[in-house]
Amino acid sequence: MELAWYALLGLFFATYLVLGGYDYGVGLLLARRGPAPGSRTTLTALGPFFLGNEVWLVAAVGILFGAFPRLEGELLAGLYPAVLAALTGVVLVTAGVQLRSRPAAATARARWDRLVVVGCVLAALGWGAVLAGLLQGVPLGADGHVVGAGHLATPFVAAAGLALLALVAVHGATFLTLRLPAAEAPALARLATGLVPAALVAVASATVLGLLSDRVRAAVARPAVAVLLPLALVAALLTARAALRRGRAGTAFAATATALALPAPLIGAALWPRILVSTTDPAASLTVAEAAASRPTLALLGWLALPLVPALLGFQAMCWWVFRGRIDGRAPVYW
Amino acid sequence: MDPLLLARLQFATTTSIHFLFVAVTLGLVTLLVGLQTAGYLTGKPAYERLTRFWGQLYVINYVLGIATGIVMEFQFGLNWSGLSRYVGNVFGAPLAIETLVAFFLESTFLGMWIFGWHRLRRGVHLALLWGVAVTAYASAFWIMVANAWLQNPVGYEVRDGVAHLTDFGALLTNPTFGMAFGHVISASLVTGGLLMAAVSAWHLLRRTTDYALFRTSLRLGLVTAALAVTTLQGFGFAQFGPVGQLQPTKFGGGPDRDALVADWTARFGPGDWEPPVLSDVGLGFMILIGFTLGAVWLLLPLLWRDWIIRLKAPLWLILLGLPLPFVAMLLGWIAREVGRQPWAAYGLLPTAQAVSPVSPGLMLTSLIGFSLLLGALAVTNWMLLARHAARGAHDPALGRPPAPDTDAHHQPVFV
Repeated sequence: MELAWYALLGLFFATYLVLGGYDYGVGLLLARRGPAPGSRTTLTALGPFFLGNEVWLVAAVGILFGAFPRLEGELLAGLYPAVLAALTGVVLVTAGVQLRSRPAAATARARWDRLVVVGCVLAALGWGAVLAGLLQGVPLGADGHVVGAGHLATPFVAAAGLALLALVAVHGATFLTLRLPAAEAPALARLATGLVPAALVAVASATVLGLLSDRVRAAVARPAVAVLLPLALVAALLTARAALRRGRAGTAFAATATALALPAPLIGAALWPRILVSTTDPAASLTVAEAAASRPTLALLGWLALPLVPALLGFQAMCWWVFRGRIDGRAPVYW
Repeated sequence: MDPLLLARLQFATTTSIHFLFVAVTLGLVTLLVGLQTAGYLTGKPAYERLTRFWGQLYVINYVLGIATGIVMEFQFGLNWSGLSRYVGNVFGAPLAIETLVAFFLESTFLGMWIFGWHRLRRGVHLALLWGVAVTAYASAFWIMVANAWLQNPVGYEVRDGVAHLTDFGALLTNPTFGMAFGHVISASLVTGGLLMAAVSAWHLLRRTTDYALFRTSLRLGLVTAALAVTTLQGFGFAQFGPVGQLQPTKFGGGPDRDALVADWTARFGPGDWEPPVLSDVGLGFMILIGFTLGAVWLLLPLLWRDWIIRLKAPLWLILLGLPLPFVAMLLGWIAREVGRQPWAAYGLLPTAQAVSPVSPGLMLTSLIGFSLLLGALAVTNWMLLARHAARGAHDPALGRPPAPDTDAHHQPVFV
């Protein structure tokens, strides 16, 4: 029962990183100066998907609260600064993208664009730091609380934040290659392939720093799974680059989406059966089973989720299907 | 600085801003459903124009509802980890249901509704708005179930110091839930109706174009506000009985309160087990505003032969009355929430035990940062709302028909 809920939590958070990931990647690219495509066209590519993407995060935190209440409290409070950064970023992107085109003046729109860029950077760095914070463990005391926040200030956390930022940028550029009018595709594909080396370097340095970190080595229960993560990321990035060079944006997007889907499940598997590993007192570590809500709560939520999750996926799929394909001059413009 | 005080201030700030926006969201979406359904059934273009104009204001307002809502959801874990640790098994369930059943679908539907104009079949597009409205109500329902449980914990048993769910049905029949839910929905309808009437009144006073359009929305807004203000008062006064019985410390003195305080002192040790002295002062002002808003009924006879527009003075009154429901909403929530102090879950979990053991510095950073961020966003949002309301209904960006695609080489029409 706990495992099923843990898998569902992983599914929702991983899907958020994939879908929210291209939102943030596209938002980052608003920082580019120069000719077409303009900001409005870029945001039109997100268009109908934007509101449906961030709800995966809200639902993931809802599942975290309902099915893993103890983890919710200790995880968010224990990684306070990282969560704060991510949350600020999410709020800025949410408000910025939706309000950006409401003022008519170009200067006001440019200011909103800068806010969106800042928000995307914060969100990517923040979620990267949260994932790294899980991998390197937290100073969880015998009373079950995390002590202090200084434990996050490590090179590994910084490198992981930057790695997620780079991955998100590649993902966003690939999404635009797939979604903007065909005339824009070659230039965007060049941009995406140009970002791939940066992402490779970021992933490699995070990997090296992770391997060198005593805390990461101590926290990871399954080193093979943990090492699989960077290897899979590199493979996905190289696949994306090769596909972009051949003009196969769909394959490239599948590859970058895989890259963003992998961290959550692989980190969960590498730490299993624990989720919050204590760096100070191994006995105080929190396992998934301990973190889960008690049986009656999980049973109640389970009966609800059984018909609900297919419906949620169905309506999201409807949104993707209705608005599929490249945008053109007739695409509805609102953001 | 005391982390408890900082965490409480942050929750109060975020929640207050949240309510100012979600009340408008709930009220307006109900009116929009009426407008778009009327347009679908009658085929009159006036209704489509009304839907686009009010829909655009609705969508702008919705942004801050999401932004503050996300911050609130995270705040439970960030600042109130004791709440999830001790009562998460029970309190977490309605919140999880809210995110999955309600919010997830609401946002997905809204995205398709915004971009579905002229692209989806009209029936499908209308169904999406119905979906948005139904899930918005479901959202309020589950949030109120969760809040009512904190007011009056039911359907649980404590084992090893942690609350476990025993009877989920008890959460739904909680005496602090039903009337409060009706009260909040009515308040939202009053707010949405009055907002619609006030914006229309402004246009009618300024004699802008679209007289007929704003005449329609003035009438719709006023009638909605009048009907809802009556249920608002009813659901409000109906709460005094059960709340006074279940929370004897909320409205001041009496032997029940003294007995309860003595019981808590015996079980939880000596302490200040009564809410702050001024916690129910706002309630009096809220009731006063509630009666004042009831005067909307006096304006209804003036709808005959448009006397309300010809006399002008009633339109000014409606404009002046617009802040009232917002003030009343905040006062009502303060009375409900501060009145249950010092308990996070009444009689079960003291607020001081629910707060996260986070350093005051971090908590202060978060309080100042998010208050400034959300405050600035709220003010900007209201300015945008005012500007778009003043601009009138001649061509809102929402639902603008796409330009004919004349250029095969794609010169985008995006401005």
